[in-house]
Amino acid sequence: MQDLKQLYNAVLEGNAKAAKTVTEQALAEGTDPQTLVTKYMIPAMDEVGRRFEANEYFVPELLIAARAMKTALQILAPLLAAKGVEPIARVAIGTVKGDLHDIGKNLVSAMLEGGGFEIIDLGVDVTPEKFLAAVNEKKANIVALSALLTTTMPMMKNTIESLKSAGVRQQVKVMIGGAPVTQKYADEIGADGYSDNASSAVTLARKLVAK
Amino acid sequence: MPLPGLTLIGESINDSVPSTKKLFDANDIEGILALARSQDEKGADYIDVNVGRRSPDFMADMVKRVQAVTAKPLSIDTPDPEIAAAALKAYEAGRAGGKIPVLNSISPLRMQMLDLFEIQPFMPILMASERKEGAESMPCRTAEETLLAAKQMLQAVRQLDYSIANSQLILDPGICPIGGDAEGITRRVLDGMKLIHGDPELQGVHISVGLSNFTVMLPPKTADGRPVKGALESAFLTLAMPRGLDMIIGSVVRKYERLADDHPALVCLREVLQLEGVDAIMRVREFYSA
Repeated sequence: MQDLKQLYNAVLEGNAKAAKTVTEQALAEGTDPQTLVTKYMIPAMDEVGRRFEANEYFVPELLIAARAMKTALQILAPLLAAKGVEPIARVAIGTVKGDLHDIGKNLVSAMLEGGGFEIIDLGVDVTPEKFLAAVNEKKANIVALSALLTTTMPMMKNTIESLKSAGVRQQVKVMIGGAPVTQKYADEIGADGYSDNASSAVTLARKLVAK
Repeated sequence: MPLPGLTLIGESINDSVPSTKKLFDANDIEGILALARSQDEKGADYIDVNVGRRSPDFMADMVKRVQAVTAKPLSIDTPDPEIAAAALKAYEAGRAGGKIPVLNSISPLRMQMLDLFEIQPFMPILMASERKEGAESMPCRTAEETLLAAKQMLQAVRQLDYSIANSQLILDPGICPIGGDAEGITRRVLDGMKLIHGDPELQGVHISVGLSNFTVMLPPKTADGRPVKGALESAFLTLAMPRGLDMIIGSVVRKYERLADDHPALVCLREVLQLEGVDAIMRVREFYSA
């Protein structure tokens, strides 16, 4: 039998090759794909997050671990879909209209994906209409907004207003982030949550959908 | 710390620096002015002033107060045209030995800020990291697109009713944190710089980056205790200065230097530039984990 602790370690250390090999062998031995995800891979990403918060890991480690996670998930995704396993939630993520900064948004995306969320990445310069369409057509349960300029922050508010006027605000959670953004601003514009880094964004998203 | 051939805009007075934000939030103006004085003493050529989302009046007041304690010219740092206008109205070149301020920054997505020239002359930092194509805005993905964005900005400046020499313009190709650069942005920035520097139309323009952004997200020290950030930033300078970089927004206490060819940070950066995707990031990690 495969020692599945190896899968945990492969994700934690960001060893994509090992993550793939162990996953394939475990599946060949008949291990349930969902067990691999929930018992080994997500706990490994949680530990990555913990180390990040403790300043033992930095952004490069996050990205490298997320890639290992993604490599294994790509093998497992069709099997999980066939069994009707749903992701924790679907997150429509993007940088708001008028703003082309994508690094922070990509980091949050990678970490959420590693945390078991399905990601609908809308890219940068995303209009409120596009966020709305992702909620209506792709059944996003979380809308994650990024802004890196003080002048584009108001577009976060506009996006929330659009969700409201379309009558879908109650069915989604909105989380926001970006260098000039604060918890205070999130409260001001009626967002459900704010996170100042990619790791705590995962904790926040989980909290929001658990409510 | 100053490096010959490199104009330093001192970065400390910025609302997105946590320790400075605390001073702003506590309305500790003396604390802010102390930052202006110490950066002046330690060799900053310009003092950056960024007040975040505070009011235009607050910005105007900060400009006056900072100018009262330093004779260095200021870099007015905001994407907001109203805050920028208030700062330009408050700025007195006479207090800075006649030197006009820098305006950080104008992007192809906010060209209306060029109208600010009617208030008083300044040196705009023009972003060449994004561009407009018709109604579409897009990030520059290649060195060629970076040059195109630079030329579009130059054209827009040339259409103004003022005569503005190339030497009054600063182009910023838009640096990206190396620890999160899985898309070859650092390569685009360095190659884009070289194209800008070599372009006949753009002769004499200054080229600047916000250098501290290059190493955010990285640990301060390597596993064996050597500095990470100063070394990688110096590696960037070592490659960028021959490509035309002559200005940075940076720290007065960081020891910037041109590195020897075999310095581990320079070896690392050269290899990173050859790698794609997460492999580039793994090479950065190898530098500080070793």
